[in-house]
Amino acid sequence: MRLSFGATIAAALCIVCFAQPTLTPAQRQLNIDSFEQVWTTVRDRHWDPKLNGVDWQAVHDELRPKIERAASMEEARAILSDMLSRLKQTHFGIVPGEAYNELDQKDDTGKTSHSEGDPGIDLRLVDGHALVTFVMPGSPAAAKGVKPGWEILRVDGKEVAPGMAKVHAALGSSMMAELMETRSLMQRLEGPIDKTVEVEFLDGNDRHADLKIGRTGPRGIETVVGTLPPLHFWVEANKIRPDIGYVHFNMFFEPDAIQSAMQKVMAECHDCKGFIIDLRGNPGGLGAMAMGLAGWFTDRSGLRLGTMYMRTTSIKFAVFPRADPFRGPLAILVDGCSASTSEIFAGGMQDLKRARVFGTHTAGAALPSMFTKLPNGDGFQYAVANYISEGGKPLEGIGVTPDQEVKLTRHQLLEGQDPILDAAVSWIHGQ
Amino acid sequence: MNRFVIARNIAISAAVVFSFSVARAADDLPKADTVLDKYVEVTGGKAAYEKHHSETSKGTLEIASQGIKGSITSYRAEPNKSYSETELGGFGKIREGSDGTTFWALSAMTGPHIKDGAEKVQAQLSAMNSELHWRDLFKDVKTTGVDTVNGKECYKLQVTPADSSPMEQCYDKISGLMVKQSMTVESPYGPQSITTFAGDYRKEDGVLVPHQIKSSVAGQDIVVTIDSVTYNADIPPGTFALPDEIKALVKK
Repeated sequence: MRLSFGATIAAALCIVCFAQPTLTPAQRQLNIDSFEQVWTTVRDRHWDPKLNGVDWQAVHDELRPKIERAASMEEARAILSDMLSRLKQTHFGIVPGEAYNELDQKDDTGKTSHSEGDPGIDLRLVDGHALVTFVMPGSPAAAKGVKPGWEILRVDGKEVAPGMAKVHAALGSSMMAELMETRSLMQRLEGPIDKTVEVEFLDGNDRHADLKIGRTGPRGIETVVGTLPPLHFWVEANKIRPDIGYVHFNMFFEPDAIQSAMQKVMAECHDCKGFIIDLRGNPGGLGAMAMGLAGWFTDRSGLRLGTMYMRTTSIKFAVFPRADPFRGPLAILVDGCSASTSEIFAGGMQDLKRARVFGTHTAGAALPSMFTKLPNGDGFQYAVANYISEGGKPLEGIGVTPDQEVKLTRHQLLEGQDPILDAAVSWIHGQ
Repeated sequence: MNRFVIARNIAISAAVVFSFSVARAADDLPKADTVLDKYVEVTGGKAAYEKHHSETSKGTLEIASQGIKGSITSYRAEPNKSYSETELGGFGKIREGSDGTTFWALSAMTGPHIKDGAEKVQAQLSAMNSELHWRDLFKDVKTTGVDTVNGKECYKLQVTPADSSPMEQCYDKISGLMVKQSMTVESPYGPQSITTFAGDYRKEDGVLVPHQIKSSVAGQDIVVTIDSVTYNADIPPGTFALPDEIKALVKK
């Protein structure tokens, strides 16, 4: 039922390119086989038998001679990507095998290597500037004194702005631009735990700060779901004010952990005035979990968040109310890095008029997708369904527009403020 | 036939296209009653079934295309108590059951849910020894033709439970074993088609039991492999009791 997760992985992986030597005849054949697999999969598995109006046979006939002539992996990959781009839909992409393998490294025991890490910061793009939005307490970044609001100018000597501009140019006006640009930059900060990363910041006093920062393992517990690369999951659940419950988690996995977190905070929050679900930076995960989360906030039976359409069937995202749900004001926080299941939940609850959504526009990347490995070693991501929210909106490419748009500013971050959270708290207290 | 429901129970959606062969003249075909009674006979006979008052099954579930594997443990007891627990890596536990009155489903992913209407009717089809009680479960049965499954011909039946949509079942012409079932599962997620194939029948305490059940659901192939079946063994106390979350919903 997957698994609407995928946008972030694709975004993280699609950025990397590798030069390749000339291909052997066997490699050429593997590329041709991959071409046929991609073409056939789309023909047979796309949720829309009309393939978004594209003459798929014509695409095959046009590109097949090109793949036969492709002299490098890069060229072959570009042809495969070109084929998929004709659909004009997200969640269809080719992931370079080297990049996929890099993220999917396993040691002899079959476990993922724990040698990769990050400095312990989160960031967002604000008006084209890469700003630190969170510094994990106790992390190498915290030890170096990095603060929210600092701007990242260079990573390992390379300017940040041109790279982001390149990604931005490639994506045009896609709603996913912010998500992919952010992931691209985050990936540049990641690397071996035993090595430092050199980051040039613009600090809170507008002074340049060159710091060599160590890396720490990813936050949270490792979780493995099917063929997805190992991921790290964390959840926070507490009261951020005496009268407001708050739950924040980084992806829709580990349903038992999220349920436990919800049970804990609900038990503490019988008399709370409001509740906040923070989905900022959450790329999605298991689509069904949106239904389970919604059930904590309504006592009305028969509600739906939306409907997922596949080629031969559809699935209604039914909401099953918990026995004693929270009935007070609910705020959902989102941003441009909220995608997929996050959008299904936020968009559905907004349509049901059960929640008020705060923050910035979401990524518009809601399609459930699958990964498969192609004969030539590359990864192939393809969507198997479309999703329409209960209000009749296709979330894909459109995303969720907040009821109350609140943008981050460097000044507010430097002041230690969280304007999106503050807006939600203010709204709850005004109810 | 109730084992086919094991796979159905973990399916929240399905998309299966299945073809129907042209029905032969009705007088060439055995009556559906005969086919269903023969199934009971060839799988062990009424007396063998009636020796069994409870059952514990354990097995595995795999969705190979997504690299998902898990375990299934299922308990059933007369007349219609049941409890199954499916544990899939990364998905948490998916539980379903009945205390004989309330039929329910519960998972951390989707939350608690009490089955009603056609969904409840379909859940009752998986009751202990339901094979013996098909006359009570189905308001109408008829043989509609001959199909071919895995190269072997089978009699195709349409069976219609009370208050639910018809199901197609196919029984091997020679062995009399059910080899295929197609149905539309009623659920809050909307009606979902599922086609299931049963194989690897093995005798367990006098009754032939399919040990491999392959289902096509929403474009996914799900394979359930039964590792063990035990009859009349002690079932842990409280197994069929309603979970607290379900009890709370019942009280509402």
